[in-house]
Amino acid sequence: MSELVNTFFNLDILREVWPLLLEGLWLTLALAAVAVPLSIAIGLAIAVAQDLHSKVLRMVLVAYVDTLRAIPPLVLLIFIFFGLPFLGLRLGEFPAAVLALTLNGSSYFAEIFRAGIESVPQGQREAARSTGLTWFQSMAYVVAPQGTRNVLPDLVSNTVELFKQTSIASAVALQELLRAAQIAQGLLYNPTPLVAAAIVYFLMFWPFVRLVSRMQNKTVMHSA
Amino acid sequence: MDQIVRYFFDFPLMADYWPDILRGFLITVEMSVLTVVVGIPLGLLIAIIRLYGIKPLNALIIFYIDFFRSIPQLVLIVLAYFALPYFGLVLDPFTATVCALAVVLSAFAEEIFWAGINAVHKGQWEAGRSTGLSFTQTLAYIILPQVVRISIPPLTNRAIGISKGTTLGSVVAVPELLNVTSSIQSNVANPTALTVGALLFLALFLPFVRFTRWLEQAYAHPRS
Amino acid sequence: MAAQNNIGMDGGDLVVIHGLHKSYGTVEVLHGINLTVKKGEAVVIVGSSGSGKSTCLRCINRLEEPTSGRIIVGGDEITGKNVDLNALRRRIGMVFQSINLYPHKTALGNVTLALRKVVGLSKAEASEKALKYLELVGLGHKADSYPAQLSGGQQQRVGIARAMALEPQVMLFDEPTSALDPELVGEVLNVMVRTKDMGMTMIVVTHEMQFAREVADRVVFMEKGTILAQGTPEEILVSPQNPRIREFVTRTKS
Repeated sequence: MSELVNTFFNLDILREVWPLLLEGLWLTLALAAVAVPLSIAIGLAIAVAQDLHSKVLRMVLVAYVDTLRAIPPLVLLIFIFFGLPFLGLRLGEFPAAVLALTLNGSSYFAEIFRAGIESVPQGQREAARSTGLTWFQSMAYVVAPQGTRNVLPDLVSNTVELFKQTSIASAVALQELLRAAQIAQGLLYNPTPLVAAAIVYFLMFWPFVRLVSRMQNKTVMHSA
Repeated sequence: MDQIVRYFFDFPLMADYWPDILRGFLITVEMSVLTVVVGIPLGLLIAIIRLYGIKPLNALIIFYIDFFRSIPQLVLIVLAYFALPYFGLVLDPFTATVCALAVVLSAFAEEIFWAGINAVHKGQWEAGRSTGLSFTQTLAYIILPQVVRISIPPLTNRAIGISKGTTLGSVVAVPELLNVTSSIQSNVANPTALTVGALLFLALFLPFVRFTRWLEQAYAHPRS
Repeated sequence: MAAQNNIGMDGGDLVVIHGLHKSYGTVEVLHGINLTVKKGEAVVIVGSSGSGKSTCLRCINRLEEPTSGRIIVGGDEITGKNVDLNALRRRIGMVFQSINLYPHKTALGNVTLALRKVVGLSKAEASEKALKYLELVGLGHKADSYPAQLSGGQQQRVGIARAMALEPQVMLFDEPTSALDPELVGEVLNVMVRTKDMGMTMIVVTHEMQFAREVADRVVFMEKGTILAQGTPEEILVSPQNPRIREFVTRTKS
């Protein structure tokens, strides 16, 4: 038993690597702080644009969204980080990770917002337009707010996913939390840093995961 | 423009590497299939066990689904590969990746099935029980068929998302498609391999992405 | 079944409810119901919403759990300890306000499911029997239709066939027509009349006063969790003595 604790929960090692892990956590949060709002904004814009009566625009946007949903985010990241330099576009680890995460994240948010907007009854738009509001105003003040509320659980769930995905940045040696833990583990030949990182992730996300479950089950109970 | 073609679409250059790329692709497919085939039934099993309402077991189940939805997939893969050996469980990279992904998928699948079970109208249970069917019979013949039907769209969506995680196996050196194309790219200093990889990923996942889009339309108009 | 004599049951009593109390938490909704239904009788329970009539009905097959009291069906105490509830439920048919047909099965499938899994009939035997009961409710030609393809009235008739096919000792009807469009109510009531003519013991909770007047052998008036009065349709619905009942009858005259 003490063998187990010494290996996985070694407090001495934890004390040593804690600053490293903290810096990694900081970087994880920084990545998410940029990628999440960007993804949400772009996703919302795409979903709203699909509501315009332009078949061509909708086809283009759907193609964009489906393509980005089909390509794994790590592939995007490797492509951006190792491939683009050949065109003279040399992005640092952080911007490359943000770009990959945003491209992927925005496509998922676009789908969620689209479902939300479609769930708002046509009558709402009709009422808004009949009072003289423009398409944009009725979208901004009537449709989008209701649509967003309808898909709130999915929005929160996807935000958590995006936060979790920041860990792929470790593959291009960006020293976010996972990478920091891997480095520490490699240096000290002890998995405690990894376990600590896992616990930090768990503590960060678990409240939201629970919240999402509660929200989803609550909406479901009402319709039963 | 020529630069783009030279660096990203130099297909003749790939000729020698084609067998390796194909092998990598097959491994990716294998991992995705295994993840889904293990993860989804496991999730259904857990949801059914949860339905029988054995209190201590339920607490364990809720911890399981919260834990595996809170931790990033890459962290779990790394833990499975680097930390488990300390327990005497040495998994090869392939197995470690598949196990981690399957377990994560099972957690998400359980929540989806659980929501489905709660969405079935209580009257269905009453009708079944009132004709003398036992709890298990009612569950098997009346409730579960309806649950599976409602669950298909969110399940396919989630299964695609997690199958894309097979690329994370490249971090622990599984010779899957991303890993292979990444290596080729650094060997020949030409990112065409990455393009080929991306196109193959598209070929694999895009049909499923389009399928889920079609499913959503189909479910929006109930059979009548 | 002489052991049941202590509550004064005689041979012809099919359903006996004795001292039924039901509470939800601290709120008591049934304050000691005593009711006896004889074999072949059609008893209709009426009363305003919240009177507890549906709750009382649903206690009979324990879809609601009685808080205290005894319920005996066909000589067996359904509220007893260690009772085989599933076997007892086979003998009690129920028709629901929300119909509750299985959407993923055809009309035939809805009726055959219990016949095959509870009674143990073979596929052929079950289909034959199911078809017989579907014909009885006038829907033999719709055997392969799915519920979504049927009107509300047709769905409820399938619901009746589903319950009847198990050949129960008593049929419980919980506001069977309340959720239906007015034009569709008649076809369901007609089937219920035919059921009565076949000699089935029936307990019906309904707002359809005309049905109660014409078909019931006995009408039970419930109010706020107790039985205010019971008697023939003439006594309760046509010339009620009790002023409260008179008020109810005049209000619901359509």
